[in-house]
Amino acid sequence: MSQPEQRIIVLDGTQVPDREIIGGKAWSIARMTKLGLRVPPAFVIPISECARYHENSRTLDDDLWQQILSGVAAIEQATGRVMGNPDAPLLVSVRSGAAVSMPGMMDTVLNLGITDEVEYGLARITADAGYARDTHARFCHTYGDIVFKADLDPYVCGPSPSEVRDLVADDVGQAIPEDPHDQLRQAICAVFDSWESARAKSYRRHWGISDVGGTAVTIQAMVFGNLGDESGTGVLFTRNPLTGESVPYGEWLPGGQGDDVVGGTHAVKDLTELAQTMPNVHSELIEWAGILEHEHADVQDVEFTVEQGVLYLLQTRGAKRSPEAAVQIAIDLVHEGLITPAIAVSRVTSEQIRSVLLPYLAEHTVANVTPIAIGEPACPGVAQGIGVIDPDEVESRAAAGESLVLVRPTTSPNDVHGMIAAVAVVTDLGGSTSHAAVVTRALGRPSVVGVGDGVAEGLAGKELTVDGGSGRVYAGYLPLESTQIDDHPALAPLAAWANEHCPVQVVPNAEGDVLDLDSVAQVLDPQTGRVDSQALMEALSQASGPVRSSVLESAEGASALLESGVTVVVADPALPLQLRLIQASRT
Amino acid sequence: MPTVSEQELSLDFLAVHGLAVRKAAGPGAVADLLNADESAVAAVFDAAMAEGKIAGAKGIFMVAPAGQAWLADQYPIVYASAREDGALTAAYERFERVNTQLLALFTDWQTMPAGGQRVPNDHSDPDYDRVIIDRLGDLHERAERVVGNCSEAEPRLGRYLERLEAAYDKVLAGDTDYVSGVRIDSYHTVWFELHEDLLRMLGRQRQE
Repeated sequence: MSQPEQRIIVLDGTQVPDREIIGGKAWSIARMTKLGLRVPPAFVIPISECARYHENSRTLDDDLWQQILSGVAAIEQATGRVMGNPDAPLLVSVRSGAAVSMPGMMDTVLNLGITDEVEYGLARITADAGYARDTHARFCHTYGDIVFKADLDPYVCGPSPSEVRDLVADDVGQAIPEDPHDQLRQAICAVFDSWESARAKSYRRHWGISDVGGTAVTIQAMVFGNLGDESGTGVLFTRNPLTGESVPYGEWLPGGQGDDVVGGTHAVKDLTELAQTMPNVHSELIEWAGILEHEHADVQDVEFTVEQGVLYLLQTRGAKRSPEAAVQIAIDLVHEGLITPAIAVSRVTSEQIRSVLLPYLAEHTVANVTPIAIGEPACPGVAQGIGVIDPDEVESRAAAGESLVLVRPTTSPNDVHGMIAAVAVVTDLGGSTSHAAVVTRALGRPSVVGVGDGVAEGLAGKELTVDGGSGRVYAGYLPLESTQIDDHPALAPLAAWANEHCPVQVVPNAEGDVLDLDSVAQVLDPQTGRVDSQALMEALSQASGPVRSSVLESAEGASALLESGVTVVVADPALPLQLRLIQASRT
Repeated sequence: MPTVSEQELSLDFLAVHGLAVRKAAGPGAVADLLNADESAVAAVFDAAMAEGKIAGAKGIFMVAPAGQAWLADQYPIVYASAREDGALTAAYERFERVNTQLLALFTDWQTMPAGGQRVPNDHSDPDYDRVIIDRLGDLHERAERVVGNCSEAEPRLGRYLERLEAAYDKVLAGDTDYVSGVRIDSYHTVWFELHEDLLRMLGRQRQE
């Protein structure tokens, strides 16, 4: 008899199949297990099965289903838990995973396998009935939202699982299965179906991605951070993502499970707490995080859970970082031999350098100064000007060369022209997600929102220093500091490498004639504020020597410059433009 | 002054209202907002200029203080039945819920979490951005229902849906300025205008 066809792959570290075969998520799990790191047991239904599912009139054939059940059995054996068994229940996550991630694919369903009985079992095991109930209700909500596409408001803790079930059933006329295997089968079908969703199809059409192919389905055991004293969940950055300092940085929630980090239901502790209570787990975590950083040659953001003293890694990805940290980390990784200078200059963006070079208030400057208004920081940066309430007045006075701060109770579309003309914005109402915050961030205007009813009005006519990073407004023009590239320990070497790798020579000044592109053509559309690439190309074609322009640092400007063949550009500082050109030349 | 019933909303009123929503615009942009004829809007603008309701130069107009006061008087009359009827109010409540989520999405687009704080999104992580664009697609589907409900009560609001659709299409095609760009008809710009339009129709105060 011939060997039966293998239609699922258990991710036990014995092999790392291609990303094109098993999708990004399973590939990441396989990579971690291959490195010898412990992750919750998992298996994947590869991408090839998606097409077979659709050819088969959107059903899982018996053979595949039997293999899926054997994959579940493998997880059950590895964890010592069984799906649907209230005394030792196995819960799993179900995720989609195409070779290239795209909109419209099904989101993750967590805690699949929970039922009324399992909920009571979980309540007993964790000694936390509230947690068990919330997990169950949250599962019903996610299942309704993601698998059934029910129109539900975002989940809030409170309603019982049966209430959520009713809400879902009312909206879609279908009940969430009570049997864990039925839940699993339906969720897998929903992942495969999502490949053919309208949104995924239109994305592929837009980007010319083939409809052939499909998505994999990854099924992974859930681990519990709330099983007794030696459990918890957390996140570790291999370096400080705010300063770039080469010291692991993170959060640890003893007894916390999954969404608790976001929900803020548990007190977040420092990683030193983990080092004190479970030194072996802590040192294993630090060691593993180091392995991952080395493997990826970049700072990692690692999610982990500790279940009864056993560490599991859930996910690793390149860490998001502040502009200051981006610069520091790029330099340090070169010094440590993890990356080359050529890679370092591609890891820092021109926007990040612009941000690092912004003027700022030194700590000692504001140490003894009382702010005249405090609100929520909405867009970072420091700016100084006179407070003005009327946006029309801001527009006309700014046109005459004054620096003005728009101070208003709230902002409407009628104020946008004033926000464009102002150097900063302060509003009475609103939070960091208000329209005012969104508009000022899009414009890069420092802003402070929610300073309190009537406060902004009191700022009118005054000289103001607005710190959009700290959410403070000071009376008068306080002295500002600024960073100099040449005497900065990290910026100076970065500038030297950028000089070496930039495809075009960028100089702070040039002798002889420099063609100012802004004066020979309208390179910026005055209505939209966007670069007019065609006008820019025409202006560039007139150049016979060095050029300068305010728009070359934009993505459109940089590509036009590279295409034009112009070899010398005048810009001071040179670094931001050089990094943009390096980035543009790589794509 | 004649009382305008909701069924026969005159362009005399709508053109000035549309200009108020757009702040500073030519007849073409206001006609686009209202789905009306450009030359008809231009004619209303000429008359409104003569009455001192709007001011303008070089083809760009703004509502004058006298015009703002006139609009404030007109709204409760023009939209009396819409305000009482409940259908539009109910649609607006739903709009507010989607609004909260959309504004959070714009914030996630512009900033990203790094070690417990938020830093500007440098768009260097395509996966992070793609998740947000996917969420925008999800919210756009909800917006379709909400704006659909709004336009059942006031058909001209359906034009906003077409503009939202156009912005979303541009985002999907990779022109990501159309998520929250300011000087263009980005998703946020159109949504912000729709919000203003609804607030004016219903006589509500902006809460943020």
